Amino acid sequence: MRPFGRPLLCALAILALVATATAPPGAPAQSRLRVLATLPDLWAISRAIVGDLGEVQVATRPGQNPHDLEIRPSQIVLVKRAEILVRNGLDEDSWIDPVIESSGNPRLLRGAPGVVEAVRGLSILKVRTGLIDRSLGDVHPSGNPHFTLDPGTLPVVTANIVAGLGRLRPDLAERLEANRRAFLDEVAVAGRRWSDALASYRGASLVSYHDSWPYFYRAFGLEELGVIEDRPGVPPSPQHLVTLIRQMREQRTKVVLVESWYPTDTAAAVARAAGARVLVLPQSPGAVKGTDTYIAHMDFLVSALAKALGD
Amino acid sequence: MRTHGRRSIALLVVLSFSILTGPAHAQDADVLRRELEALRQQFATVTQSYEQRLKALGDRLQQLEGRAAPAAPALAPPVTTLTGSAPAVDAPSLADLARPRQPFALAQPGRVLLFDIGVSGDFVADFTSATRERRHDGTFAGRENRLFPREVELGLFGRVDPYASAVVRISAGEEPSEGASSSREVIVRLDEANATLLDLPLGTTARFGLMRPRFGTLNTIHQDDLPQVDRPNVLSRFFGEEQLDGERGVEAFWVLPVSIYHELSLGIFDGDNETAFGRGSLRDPLLIGRWRTFFELEERGGLQLDASAATGITAEGHRNTVVGLGAKYKWIGAGSGFPVLTLAAEGLGSFRVVDTSGGDRHVERWGAYAYTQYDVDRRWAAGLRGDWTELPVERGREWALSPYVQFKPSEFLRFRLQYKHTEGRGVVERSADEVFLQGSFILGAHPTERF
Repeated sequence: MRPFGRPLLCALAILALVATATAPPGAPAQSRLRVLATLPDLWAISRAIVGDLGEVQVATRPGQNPHDLEIRPSQIVLVKRAEILVRNGLDEDSWIDPVIESSGNPRLLRGAPGVVEAVRGLSILKVRTGLIDRSLGDVHPSGNPHFTLDPGTLPVVTANIVAGLGRLRPDLAERLEANRRAFLDEVAVAGRRWSDALASYRGASLVSYHDSWPYFYRAFGLEELGVIEDRPGVPPSPQHLVTLIRQMREQRTKVVLVESWYPTDTAAAVARAAGARVLVLPQSPGAVKGTDTYIAHMDFLVSALAKALGD
Repeated sequence: MRTHGRRSIALLVVLSFSILTGPAHAQDADVLRRELEALRQQFATVTQSYEQRLKALGDRLQQLEGRAAPAAPALAPPVTTLTGSAPAVDAPSLADLARPRQPFALAQPGRVLLFDIGVSGDFVADFTSATRERRHDGTFAGRENRLFPREVELGLFGRVDPYASAVVRISAGEEPSEGASSSREVIVRLDEANATLLDLPLGTTARFGLMRPRFGTLNTIHQDDLPQVDRPNVLSRFFGEEQLDGERGVEAFWVLPVSIYHELSLGIFDGDNETAFGRGSLRDPLLIGRWRTFFELEERGGLQLDASAATGITAEGHRNTVVGLGAKYKWIGAGSGFPVLTLAAEGLGSFRVVDTSGGDRHVERWGAYAYTQYDVDRRWAAGLRGDWTELPVERGREWALSPYVQFKPSEFLRFRLQYKHTEGRGVVERSADEVFLQGSFILGAHPTERF
């Protein structure tokens, strides 16, 4: 008894007590769905699918830059309470892995049935080839992860989400599929509106601060002239900016897109020098009041861009 | 009869199998049908999108060709590739052939390597007076007025299997040789090697091996992630320069299933910290417990609180108990996430028995630090730390003030300049001024930053 003493016994008693107290709640088979999305775009899409069948939380705040996210303990609680995780599947939300490992919720570990990777089955743009190292900045080696900005990807993204949710809750599969179809119908109607709004600007060249928009450009026939932050996470070199400004002048580029979480000073200087204007846009739903649904967010993006290109 | 019986059994087995697998097949078929439909839709969308783009480009080309304007310089084609598209059939150019190739690659896109590798380098220059250098009583004792590698660390981390992850950290750093002031050695050692079990019952997560235990606020932070160049005096005095690190044992932790974050952890270790414990045996183990909570405040704020206790036996065979309380508040600006204001403080109390000529004596000692940091933007930050601590065994106390600035050209490279003024009384009688310059880099993968 002496060597280990009372402290060890006390510790073991506390250990047993805590383990019992923190036992997960009973089988969630018939309860409401508890879904966690890593990013606001997946949150908006998942909410449209889940509807009143459950609650969908998001691990990041709308308008928060997911590229250099700092883990907060409150995210661990969200992961702990969720039964299904909807994640991007590329490098955009790999910060969620240590959160899951700290949460004690093995259902959401990579490869577990409770994890939905929205990207599965999609054609990914800008998959880097050749030598990849940090001289290229903080690149996404697996390709550009901002695919939900192209509404054309939604049939696959939503199918992935429905398949994942239905895997855990087969009893809800039909209703989830019905919600999905209704959502896709709404997106199709809105899509015609968006295409019409940008129809007269097809082929227009655009510059952005960060490389967030290739899927958006693809969806609406816009042309990417360049990116100010040519190496992600590293301020652009003067030489790159001079070249970009020259190209913008030649191509008569009218708009520089800046994601709302990036500073506008460099973009403003480039736009001024090239005779263009800066358009600050939220890259994720919910960052601007009234845009917390996918369609409202895209409405905002399209109308703001159409206005900027038309001015 | 026997043959007939066997046939009946076989028939029954086949029938049962068909009944059992029937719905599963139907479900599979449903899933496949849905996937097929989704792919068809995607294919149609992509085709339509590309046709529209081709048409738009064709129209634009016609317009440009129709004009008599001078030819614009060719733009570099975007690095757009589609996964699954046909491989390029162009022969390599002379420039391609002349470009140096990677002699050896551990990982390529797609992460062939099954775990992550990261290297961090942390170099410090410590400028101080000749007296401090002679007496070796600077913050980095024995390395005064030198630029030295404090820690170059190789980190390997990843999943072991579906149920566990592991981390191994090997570090090398310059340490002064005992007795020979002019001699310095670069010591390589195993800092961490532990596996975390992720799929235990009752929501438990546990790790075993060599680790930095969950104690306090800053003790769990690695050298290269510290908010200032040096660790606060109270931590260095109570646990030594290496802190409460490199403990061998087992640690379990739980996140309570409630709406506010509460994490409880409990660890049992050998007790290898020479300054505070040092018995180094599971017969008298070092026990460490911590409670940590976190509150989201308003839109942009967060407050973390923690309370810790560690109790073990010193190398002299006496009990030592250290308790700690910590708080950290962070406010993050809207939009870009900057500016960021951080306020943090931590206090420790040590209760131990020490040998004296008159017999054993109970000693109670306290110490604390507080700091604030203001991150102007992604690159620039400035801060101030204040230290006050008693010595854990001998009579003496000291206080210090350390203003600092930080510059981060990128997420992977950081420089700091810190001034530190220390006033000591008792056996640490001194008035010291030091200037630290720090350069840190990260090569490859690095764990995500935490609050």
